[in-house]
Formats: sequence, C-alpha cells, structure tokens
Amino acid sequence: MVEPVLSVRNLQVSLRSRDGSVNQITKDVSLDLMPHEFVSIVGPSGSGKTTLLRSAAGLRPPSGGQVLFEGTPVTDVPKGLSIVFQEYNKSLFPWLSVGKNVAVGARELPVDEKNQKVSEALAHVGLKGFENRYPWELSGGMQQRAALARAMVSDPSILLMDEPFASVDALTRNHLEDVVLALWSESKFAVLLVTHDVGEAIYLSDRVLVLSARPSTVLAEVKIDLERPRNQIGTRSQARFAELHAEVLERVEAAGRLAVGIDGHVD
Amino acid sequence: MSTVALGWVGILILAAAWQILAILLHKSVFPTFVAAIAAAYHIVTGPALRTDILPSVERTAVGFLISSLLGVGVGMLVGHYRAVQQWTATVIDFLRSLPTPLLVPVAIVVFGLNGKMVVATIISAAIWPVLINTANGTAEIEPTMMDTANVFGLRGRKLFLKVILPAASPQIFAGLRIALSVSLAIMVVAEILGGSSGIGYYISNAQQSFDIVGSYGGVIVLGLLGWVFDTLFLAFERRLLSWQRGTVGGFIDG
Repeated sequence: MVEPVLSVRNLQVSLRSRDGSVNQITKDVSLDLMPHEFVSIVGPSGSGKTTLLRSAAGLRPPSGGQVLFEGTPVTDVPKGLSIVFQEYNKSLFPWLSVGKNVAVGARELPVDEKNQKVSEALAHVGLKGFENRYPWELSGGMQQRAALARAMVSDPSILLMDEPFASVDALTRNHLEDVVLALWSESKFAVLLVTHDVGEAIYLSDRVLVLSARPSTVLAEVKIDLERPRNQIGTRSQARFAELHAEVLERVEAAGRLAVGIDGHVD
Repeated sequence: MSTVALGWVGILILAAAWQILAILLHKSVFPTFVAAIAAAYHIVTGPALRTDILPSVERTAVGFLISSLLGVGVGMLVGHYRAVQQWTATVIDFLRSLPTPLLVPVAIVVFGLNGKMVVATIISAAIWPVLINTANGTAEIEPTMMDTANVFGLRGRKLFLKVILPAASPQIFAGLRIALSVSLAIMVVAEILGGSSGIGYYISNAQQSFDIVGSYGGVIVLGLLGWVFDTLFLAFERRLLSWQRGTVGGFIDG
C-alpha cells in the first residue's frame, strides 16, 4: 500500500491574541496527501487556510492533532518539504541576487552540484540569464518564478503553496499555473495548494478540499476528474469544468453563509 | 555645477565672511579664518599629531567599533527573542537615559586619566543608538522572511548572520551613523573633562593657557576629523547596502 507523504490528523490550531483570549482557527482538519498528488484547499476567507498550511509545514506547532511527514511526526520543517509563499517580495532575500536566492534552497549540496542545480532550476522556470539580477529588478511574476525555482531546486517530495499567484495579474497567473503544472508533471513531488480562486484549484488539482469558516473543518472533498495534460483554454472551456466549478463554488459559498449565520459577520 | 562643487563654494563664502568679520571686529577672542587655519595646519604637522590627534582618532575608532559590535550583537538578540526583550527593556531604558558626561567621573575613578577612560565613556553613549536600531530592525523583519529562513534550514547562528543581519542592515546602518557622531562628540567631552592627551585635551589646554588661536585650530581639526569619519562611513554603507538602492526607486516594470 502506498503511504501518504503528508498526513494531517485532527489538526486543531488556536491562536492566543494580545488580550489573552484564545481564538480557535481550525477545529478538526484531516487530510492525506499521496505521493505526486495535487491537492488544493479552498474556503471562505478567514477559514484558516494559511494557518493550516503553516502547521502542516512545521512552522507552527498545532494545539491538537498531528502532522506526519512520510510517516514521522512533524516537529520542525522537515527536509523534503518546500514552500512558496504569497508574498514573493517578502520571501526572496532582497540582498541576494536571483541565483544566490535560488542557491539558498540548495545550501546543502557541494558547490559544483549546487551551481548546476541552480542553473537547471532557473532554466525550468524560464529565468535563464537572470542569475545576477536582484529580485527588485524583476517583475512580480518573475520574482514568484524565482521563488518557485528556489523551492524546487532541492527536489522536495512536497511543495506547499500559500496563495502563490494572488499578487500577480490574471495573465501572469495563468502562465504561472502552467509553469507549476509543467514542473509537477515532470517531477515526482506532491503539491498542497491553498487558494481562494476556485477555478485555479480545479484547473490544477486532482482533489479539492473545501474548508468551513473558522473554526474550520473539512466540509467537502471534490475529485477533479478532468483529463491531463490540462491547458488553460481547452480544460477551462469543458462542460465538466463548469460543473465542478459550480459544485465547489456552491460549497464555498455555503460555508461562507454558515459563518454569517453563526457569527453575524464574515471576516 | 555639481553638488560637490557647490558645497565648496558654500565653504568659501563662509570662510570669507569669517575672515572679513574678524578683521572688522578686531578682537583677540575672535581670530581670523586664515589664522585659525594656520593653527590647524600647525597642529596636524607638529608634534600634536602624534601626542593628541592620533590618540583621539584611535579612541574614537576603538570606542565606535566596540559599540558597534556589542550593539549589533545584543540588539539582534533583544529584537529576536521576546523573552530577552522583556527582561532587558527596563535596564536598557534606564542606562541609555543616563547623561553620558556624568559617567566621566566614574570612568576616571575606574580607569584613571587615560585613553581607556575615554573609550569606556564613548561606549557608554554610542552603544545605544546601535543597539536600539538593531533591535527595532530585527523585530520588524517580515514574518514571511523568517518563515522562509526556517523552511530553508537557516537556523541558529546562520539565521543571525545570513538573514537577520542583512535584513536589518538598513536600520543598523542608521544607528551606526548616529553612533559615529556620538563617539566623536563624547571623545571630546571625555578628553576635556578628564584627559591627559587628545584633541579635546589640546583644545581645553589651549583655551586655559590663553592660546585662543590654538583652540580655534583644534576645533577646525576636530571638524575635519568628523567629516573624514562620516565620509568614510557613507562610502562603506553605500557599498554594503548597494542591493537596497533599487527598492527605493520601485520596480522597473510591473
């Protein structure tokens, strides 16, 4: 039997705010990510998607439940797990050139192999020749590609992405989605993507999980049975795509309405 | 004309005004510009160079360097660890609000009338702007950047040297520049109050022995020293923060 690369079990995260009150973010979230699987998490805003991802990565210890990476409990960020954050301009180190930023992801390799890997990774995301530029010399989309190259350079078994394309324009977003799909289909890593864009989740994923509003649980799991390879125009214009889109969107909106019913407001 | 050239014109006008005013007033407490420059020249070419100027330069440099190292090191710890910040906040606030000249008598008792006393006094004043700017700069580093460092295995000493230090460096340099001018000012004060050599001692000695022109010369030498220190510092800063310049101007394209 194939073991999941990442297994989140009954995850519960509470944050203590400044005034001492405890704010429950996720109540009970469980999910399994199989090798080379592409799973997206969608949900109403404030449903704790980012918190879930940070706990899954070992960046925030959960208040309850467990995260297993390749069968071992996660206490710190495991090797073999990489992340792309939404805010590329706060995630790339501005004092390092693009090449050196990518090399940060391959720190543990010997110099020769490292340089080789960095060039390959940059070529993969279409940034060949930009090694010596500083991040601020690149457009937003190019910066996020650099962050992607940095995350991929160490050949991780899991890539976590936290709304990675939320800060770029629509055309750039489509392009970046295809860059990720191409990288993913050529390698063996699994992806856990957090996004608020239902269309993006469906276009990219094998499965989409819908989170409830805070304190969150997994409300629904939708299998995406669209054939691969996918492409922006062909896939998105299929009738099945529209059906899936409606199904997921309906569940996200229901989750949002539920939140309004409980709290009287949506955050 | 370039900014540098215009700057020299300003200095020339000031010098001319001084010269004319001094000639018109014709007072012994207000020597002419030319006489003051001659006195300054006399200081830097005479024996005072070795007995007073170089010792002062050395004390300022040593005091500034120790303040910088301590301030940056402790500042990063204070800024990064909440517990350290909570434990040290009151102590730091108390120590840094002590007026430094008041510490000179204490430093004299501890170290005697010598260069060590001057260096200690400089450190007691110059460490604070570095420490506080470094702590603020460290505390204000974006959480995403710290997460990134964690994900890519930059922890412990590597976290401090490869992420926190460069990320906080713009604020650190702002603090260092203040510390440099504080170092120079405190050096003079300490030497005037309790020195047995140095530029401050030279100036107060000249004044007390009615060598008015000599003390003006000393002030000019001191001003030049400050200018040289600041110019060297800015060149160093520009080199180290060259990566930052583009971020001020914004992105090249969208």
